[in-house]
Amino acid sequence: MNAFQKSMEGIRASEELKENTLRYLEAQRKRSHGRRYVLQYALAAACLFVLLAAGGYSVYIRPVSYISIDINPSIEMGINRFGRVVSATAYNADGEEILEQVSLKNISYVQAIDRLLEDGNEFLAEDSLLVFTVISDQADTILAELSADESLKTYEMLTYTSDRTCMEEAHAHEMSFGKYRAYLELVEYDESVTVEDCHGMTMRELQNRIESCGNHGESGSGEKHRERHQERHHGSGN
Amino acid sequence: MKSAEDLNRVMEAYADMVRRICFVHLKNRHDTEDVFQNVYMKYLLHEGSFESGEHEKAWFARVTINACTDWQRALLRRRWVPLEFIAEEGAAVDGTSGEILEAVLKLPEKYRNVIYLHYYEGYSALEIAGILGKKENTVYTWLSRAKGILREKLGGEWI
Repeated sequence: MNAFQKSMEGIRASEELKENTLRYLEAQRKRSHGRRYVLQYALAAACLFVLLAAGGYSVYIRPVSYISIDINPSIEMGINRFGRVVSATAYNADGEEILEQVSLKNISYVQAIDRLLEDGNEFLAEDSLLVFTVISDQADTILAELSADESLKTYEMLTYTSDRTCMEEAHAHEMSFGKYRAYLELVEYDESVTVEDCHGMTMRELQNRIESCGNHGESGSGEKHRERHQERHHGSGN
Repeated sequence: MKSAEDLNRVMEAYADMVRRICFVHLKNRHDTEDVFQNVYMKYLLHEGSFESGEHEKAWFARVTINACTDWQRALLRRRWVPLEFIAEEGAAVDGTSGEILEAVLKLPEKYRNVIYLHYYEGYSALEIAGILGKKENTVYTWLSRAKGILREKLGGEWI
């Protein structure tokens, strides 16, 4: 051992220093472990929340049913599985004007229809014909609710069901599927009628054409149009 | 993160060396404790593994020297008073040893490192070059200059 080594020999880490250090490190380890777990749980919870929220939101915003409301204003509402309106699209100028004034989203479709009739009544005449056309797996439930709606009872109203193929064709003609269904019915009787003609007609006018053709046309052709379910509800006044 | 067993093992193996390197560089017990803890904290957080015990020891030497240097940079404005530290060590240091230590502590920092690593830990110039990240020739130069200074102060018999 050289003199320098000898002189340094007395310099040692005391037990106290070692113990203090070990205690300090143990505390640091626990803290960082604790922090890491907290961070992991927080991250996992955040991910789960985002997934659930995104999943829930995507379910919420996906329409499963559609109601086409045609009077003269033509409006289609998309309805999610909770019965809430998640989209509202206008298919003519009157419809656009109403949608600018009235918000229909995130309320039940019955509320939405009530609101439409209340706030959009400037577009309704005494003799207006309200036509509701429904595309849904639960069309019967929706139709039953519409029939039971008190605020609809003062109007003359017709209800129909349709399907998605019909809706796609209608949209290709920039028409609501409710009005397009009526066009298809009319064209059965009068082949000279075009979609463009129907664009400018109110549902009352369309219905009158159908009825007048039906009365004068050949019998038995009434139900030929694409196995479309047809049901008539006239308002209580009639 | 290293296990508690690992920590206990390296504490037993290198505590004295870490303590001595701190002594060579630092002014007092408080600084030593802080740097000592920092060195072991660095070990605790060290992700890599060591090829051998020698590799591990050299890692501790290098990390301790760097920690001391960093510490001193932070305390640059303080005056360097080696005698206080020697006095703190009290009974551990007697007359001749005290002289040697005082002379070593008065050396410039880079010389202190090579003197300690070479004369106490027995590292070769090549190994010291590896630990300090310097060229071997630089280490030789520092060693011979440090020896020259110590010889001047302590006479030929200091080692």
